[in-house]
Amino acid sequence: MTNEIKIFALSTCPYCKKTKRFLSEKGIDYEAVDVDLLTSSEQDDVLEEIEKLTGKRSFPVVIIGDEVIVGHNEDKLRQVLGL
Amino acid sequence: MTGQDERRVFCPVCSARFAPEGDLTEGDQVRCSICGQMLIVRACDNQWLGERRSMLSDDEIRDRVDGFAMIRGYGFNEMKEEIIDGLIGKRDAFGDFYCPCRLEQTPEYQCPCRPTRGGDVERDGRCHCGLFWKDSRER
Repeated sequence: MTNEIKIFALSTCPYCKKTKRFLSEKGIDYEAVDVDLLTSSEQDDVLEEIEKLTGKRSFPVVIIGDEVIVGHNEDKLRQVLGL
Repeated sequence: MTGQDERRVFCPVCSARFAPEGDLTEGDQVRCSICGQMLIVRACDNQWLGERRSMLSDDEIRDRVDGFAMIRGYGFNEMKEEIIDGLIGKRDAFGDFYCPCRLEQTPEYQCPCRPTRGGDVERDGRCHCGLFWKDSRER
């Protein structure tokens, strides 16, 4: 798997933590952004990107290549990552 | 105090007035029938104001979510403790028990959030976070 993985998350969201934990346990590297901890202007930029990708503000958002997964979904992660 | 206001207590969590059972006396402890918060009743400017009991403590939010679930007949699942940890994280980072699964830190998203108080669980079977469930056996 060569695609870079990016996660938009909230620092307090238990499902975001589960997604990060799942990937870590599988030894998969990812870049995570806790959107709630960004400055207001950074947050605006990221939210615009999230809304473009998903049409809503729901977390976590996992981006793997062209795939966008909203919410904690281990089955979908396994499928996309070929686990 | 006279008229309708005589029986109603303002809840600072859900910003609404509710009518508890029985007569009210300064210092009484009552549970908000809308959000489940335990309040200490105070007389102020000819109305009853609720003061949050154990304000901002871990016990406050645990008691509130248990109280809300009891009032509505909702259940929890195995995510309860992780979601409560998230609520405590919100308090530590943003000052109050806002929904841990949303970005917004506004009164309408104090847990139980306004959509949940307004019937999301009846409609969807669960609240946005999956803390409150209409049927606790569902997941």
